Amino acid sequence: MGLYATLQVIWWLLLGVLLMALAVMVGMDMGVGAILRYVGRTDLERRVALNIIGPHWDGNQVWFVLGGGAIFAAFPLLYATAFSGFYVVMLLLLWTMILRPLGFEYRSQIERPAWRNTWDWVLFVSGAVPMIVFGAAFGNLLRGVPFHFEWDMTSFYTGSFLGLLNPFALLTGVLALSLAAMMGALMVMNGAEGALFQRARGVVQVTAGVAIALFAVGGLWVHAMPGYRLIGGPGPGVPQTPLQQSVVTVPGAWLTNFGAYPLLWLAPLVGFGGMIGAWLAARADRSHLGWWLGALAWSGVIATAGAALFPFMLPSSTDPSMSLTVWNASSSKDTLLWMAGFAAVFVPLILWYTSWAFWVMRGKVSAEKIARGDEHAY
Amino acid sequence: MRTFLYFLLFMFLAGVITILAAILGDEGAWYFAWLIGTAMLVLVSAAGGALLDAQEASAAAAGREQS
Amino acid sequence: MINGTVVDLSRVQFAATALYHFLFVPLTLGLSFLLAAMETVYVTTGKPIYKQMAQFWGKLFMINFALGVATGLTMEFQFGTNWSFYSSFVGDIFGAPLAIEGLMAFFMESTFVGLMVFGWERLSKGQHLAATWLVAFGSNLSALWILVANGFMQDPVGATFDPFTMRMQLTSFQKLIFSPDVQSKFVHTSIAGYVTAAVFVTGVSAFYLLRKRHVPLAKRSLRMAALFGVLATIGVITLGDALGFVAARVQPTKLAAMEGLWKAQAAPMPFNLIAFPSQTEQKNDGVVQVPDLLSLLVTHSLDRTVLGVDALERQARRRIEQGIPAVQALRVLARDPTNAAALAKFTAHRRDLGYGFLLQRYAPDLSQATPAQVRAAARDTIPPVAAVFWSFRVMVGLGLLMLAFFVLAALYSLHNTVQNKRWFLKVAVWMIPVPFLANECGWLVAELGRQPWTVFDVLPTWMSASTHSVAYMVFSLIGFLGLYSIFIVIELYLLVRAIRLGPAEPGGAGEGRTVPAAAHGGKAEG
Repeated sequence: MGLYATLQVIWWLLLGVLLMALAVMVGMDMGVGAILRYVGRTDLERRVALNIIGPHWDGNQVWFVLGGGAIFAAFPLLYATAFSGFYVVMLLLLWTMILRPLGFEYRSQIERPAWRNTWDWVLFVSGAVPMIVFGAAFGNLLRGVPFHFEWDMTSFYTGSFLGLLNPFALLTGVLALSLAAMMGALMVMNGAEGALFQRARGVVQVTAGVAIALFAVGGLWVHAMPGYRLIGGPGPGVPQTPLQQSVVTVPGAWLTNFGAYPLLWLAPLVGFGGMIGAWLAARADRSHLGWWLGALAWSGVIATAGAALFPFMLPSSTDPSMSLTVWNASSSKDTLLWMAGFAAVFVPLILWYTSWAFWVMRGKVSAEKIARGDEHAY
Repeated sequence: MRTFLYFLLFMFLAGVITILAAILGDEGAWYFAWLIGTAMLVLVSAAGGALLDAQEASAAAAGREQS
Repeated sequence: MINGTVVDLSRVQFAATALYHFLFVPLTLGLSFLLAAMETVYVTTGKPIYKQMAQFWGKLFMINFALGVATGLTMEFQFGTNWSFYSSFVGDIFGAPLAIEGLMAFFMESTFVGLMVFGWERLSKGQHLAATWLVAFGSNLSALWILVANGFMQDPVGATFDPFTMRMQLTSFQKLIFSPDVQSKFVHTSIAGYVTAAVFVTGVSAFYLLRKRHVPLAKRSLRMAALFGVLATIGVITLGDALGFVAARVQPTKLAAMEGLWKAQAAPMPFNLIAFPSQTEQKNDGVVQVPDLLSLLVTHSLDRTVLGVDALERQARRRIEQGIPAVQALRVLARDPTNAAALAKFTAHRRDLGYGFLLQRYAPDLSQATPAQVRAAARDTIPPVAAVFWSFRVMVGLGLLMLAFFVLAALYSLHNTVQNKRWFLKVAVWMIPVPFLANECGWLVAELGRQPWTVFDVLPTWMSASTHSVAYMVFSLIGFLGLYSIFIVIELYLLVRAIRLGPAEPGGAGEGRTVPAAAHGGKAEG
């Protein structure tokens, strides 16, 4: 494999890692938002829950920004085609996501219950909707999306908004939401005590159960679903456009990679194992361990989807030969190389100071301190 | 009136600095200038705060003014 | 073909969301360094009042920061959602700085802002100070990478069009980040943020001095902001001049629009202080001029000139004619990448590809293009002169006003008499909106002056938008305008409220947040 093809694969893998980090870190914060009104029955309990992720949500959210930036830089054609095609869904995602920082920062500014209740619901919507959209996006990738290109790479999306909310996409959407709620509840367990801790513990067990069931059903569904197969084209590491390849759809084709490389079955196995482990750990009140197992579950789920799709990134249901693949949607060699350099320096640095920030703010959040009016708490 | 003359003097100085900077640097090393300039700005403004403390302390010592 | 209404609506949406985002960003850029300055004094002198200052201004910083972050999310994805052709056409170059921004700057800023707010008790003094400094550098490095991306749109260096992938590709990363346009634009924008924060802090402090509240805090804040502001304003003006000098070379149409320069003038060229440009008649009415000044400003000499609109349009016509074969050859290559004749033809004319695209708006079939269509496309290369001309003058006028303001503020503050100058304090409060207005005008000059291109000389705006329906665009535009209107009301309400409440005094009174939640009945349901 030449340098260009290697870089393409590296960036596909890196994108996967970014999506995992996004799902784990942003999903956790969104999960807390989604379960906030259930686990926190009093304003004080809700403030404790919010202050557990208070110092971190802003940093975590950058995984989302970075995910967007990395797709733009490494796979610009995917960025352009997917985000314009998913227009209304993207708007839902963006509109609910821009409400979230305000929910965190503005909720505690004013004491009135009506004000705080309003922001509680904002945090609920801005937690649940983006995670459903995030999961549904994967569902739609597996199903294929109706789009095609003109000679100059102008893309046309020919589906409707409702077409993106098909049953399979909703299934993957709810799967993402339950994993996010599970991670949020585990994080609340990490930082809370008493009734809040107990209710969060209950949430972990329910959401883990739902996630296990949905992941299993989703797997069976994909088994029977028409998948895409690349049967000809310029191949890896060759500068090209999506107008030069041929693709066919074959039922069950999404399992081709698993057949060729049985080691890939580890991905769904890790997914199931992580979910079951998180469930057991929560039952045993070992939420830190549960959190790490939950992160493993997310990674397994995303890796499963990636392994099924490779080398496809965005299959076209109306003109399969115009599907976007790792080979035809990526940036040029120079850009991938420069970006790889930056990522090699800065990703470890980010991981280092993020873990330092978590270490500094470790331990239980004191409800007393918040009630006393700790100046810097949400 | 004295303040007004000072104002004119400082405006004149600011103008001269601006014109000099503009003419000397057609395409300057602006990144470097930004780094040095920002550090200088922060230090000058920090020194200004410390100077105010000193001014107030000496005024209080002279017993002319309390603040 | 793309629907013109969709392009216009996409432009309105982009301008609205970008201008809105740019209300909050400059304050973040500047206030973060002022916070760092205040905390530095606290750590070096140990005086608690500077900690109180850092915490109070930090609270206002966060109210503003939240909306800056929230609206920034929209910007990052709007290229994909609404400018998909643009994104795939230049994503190879334009995407990289956005991703690096996340890696290098935004992550640092956002992680340490959490520690800055929540870490007062958990971190040592020195560690907390480091966090504050990292927030300041993080936010400004963020601006750097965003402006690297923007600089590419103004002066696309370090890239070339590749006919096999149908897009621009990176050729030199160094050229991209060290382009003179990027360098001067970054420093200009960053320091404009310093000025914005300095006016804000001066104005709010003046408000307290007028009310005789929190006087020691207000006097110190005003002193620090005034000194910060006077130097920063000089910097902004210097860099603005550098930016104009660069534009004269790389974006002559923008410069001609900024100066209302319809026809070539003999050196030394006079400066149009006031004029009312008419785009259709290509002339100015009601002109008031300053002799020689324009040559001095834009060429830094008295014997050089720049081109006027008439000459620029003639140049554009020639380039459009050269662009026709480039587009035609490209169409052949799209079908058949191995066609050597088409490749040779394309290579000979690639420089003018963008101008060929420009003509396609009027002549979808370029082989049938008429001279009238070529003239219309050439006329398009001139940005809206009156809007650019006046945005520029308002920006410069406000900049000079702020310079005078800060010189006076610094003078009064150094004499320690500013608290007695009630007229000046009132002026200072009314100055608060001024830098925000100047910033918005600056954006308009830069981005309206770039028209009709999204990437100057390379990609016309009319081709860049996504192929949405008008209905989708109306829906999203209404959604953005509705949400953003609600946001600004909430933000202003909270800011004004926080300012009225004032900083937490060591006694404990006057701080809304410190009232125990339990006192209001623990249950949140109500």
